[in-house]
Amino acid sequence: MTHEIHLRIDSDFDIIVARQKGRQMANELGFGPTDSTLIATAISELARNMVAYAHRGEIVLQSIDHGDPPGILVTAFDKGPGIPDVVQALLDGYSTSGSLGLGLPGVKRLMDEFEISSEIGQGTIVTARKWKRRAA
Amino acid sequence: MSATAPQVGSQLADEYEAMLQQYFEGLGEAALEYAYELGRQALADGLGVLDMARLHHAALLKVSPSRSPRDEALRSAETLLIESLTPFEMTHRGFRESYAALQTSEGRYRELFEKAHDQHEAVTRRIAHALHDEAGQMLASVYLAVADIARELPDAGRQPLEKVSELLDHVTGQLRHLSHELRPVLLDDLGLVPALEFLAQGIARRSGLVISVESSIHDRLPVKIETALYRILQEALINVSKHAHATRACITLERSSHAVCSSIRDDGIGFDLTDDIWPPASGGLGLIGMRERLMAMGGMLSITSHSDDQGARKGTTIEIIIPLPAVPAGEQDS
Repeated sequence: MTHEIHLRIDSDFDIIVARQKGRQMANELGFGPTDSTLIATAISELARNMVAYAHRGEIVLQSIDHGDPPGILVTAFDKGPGIPDVVQALLDGYSTSGSLGLGLPGVKRLMDEFEISSEIGQGTIVTARKWKRRAA
Repeated sequence: MSATAPQVGSQLADEYEAMLQQYFEGLGEAALEYAYELGRQALADGLGVLDMARLHHAALLKVSPSRSPRDEALRSAETLLIESLTPFEMTHRGFRESYAALQTSEGRYRELFEKAHDQHEAVTRRIAHALHDEAGQMLASVYLAVADIARELPDAGRQPLEKVSELLDHVTGQLRHLSHELRPVLLDDLGLVPALEFLAQGIARRSGLVISVESSIHDRLPVKIETALYRILQEALINVSKHAHATRACITLERSSHAVCSSIRDDGIGFDLTDDIWPPASGGLGLIGMRERLMAMGGMLSITSHSDDQGARKGTTIEIIIPLPAVPAGEQDS
């Protein structure tokens, strides 16, 4: 069964709710505490970008539990100004996060799969997946 | 940095402590978000992972959980710690990624450099040997033919042919010189030390420099190493003879179980090491090329400019170390 949660994001409070839902879903899917935190963090960064640049948007969390291993899919979309240069945005040193490798590049590193598409004046869609690690 | 760090740390410590307290009082996800933000702040302030661990531990010792039993409190505090460390983890993964990319690109660069160099060396060797052997033989036949013709002519007619013979001598000398410059046949036939001695004689004759070659190496070295050393020492010697205003130069060669060490020392005016005043000798590698060449082989090159008590420059020493490929056990001491 695929579980799906839609979250409206337009305030700092929504960021906290989104993190919590993401962490909860990850826990339910059997992710360990560390990976659950990484997932919550990735959601946090996406939501934070949304509030900062597009002011509002939506995050959808989906559990992928029909396959092996199970995973979680995070989709973040907004109708904001869009990102002029996506490649640049994925390089460290761009955006408000400074050169510490946080922000979008950070999300890309924390998750297993990451896709982004953005159009000026149309908005941005980010999808990111993380798979449960098998016990060694 | 060390003067300001404790202050930043102490402010963060207070915040961390307050946050942990709130977390124990049931603030939940909001406290975790706060932990993450605090982690970002700490990272931006230049704190390290160990500082964070220390902050966390100190806060844990101070803040007593009011609601939860101790074990449960410690477990949940772990979540808070992980949350505050996540920004570091992100950065760390970024560094790891960059490092791996750098390694790959460095490897590719070295490989290309090596390949280009090997090809260059192979072509040079072919041309040098063709000049030395084939062109040399053809010239020898021309010599004989001219001599044959001369024998059949009356004495008066021989004079122009003698002029031709002289010119042929000249051409032969030039060809030999050119071939040697490209790649000394001696290096392939007899090895590094005889080739260097021959080179030193030539340069000494042309420049008046007194050059000695001291070597304790008696057997052949791997071709690549012989070539690299020859090229570098050749370039260095030419530079000494042209630019150093030196009267003497001394080359040493030594072999240890793992490496070949070589040095060339002169008593010239030296040069300012910050200047890049060592231009490539015609067709040579130049200083940068030599360094690259050596690094590709895992070796190194150092240059020391000597000066006397008054600070006047007193010569230069270049030292080169090239590691030898590992020899299978049992074949050592050969």
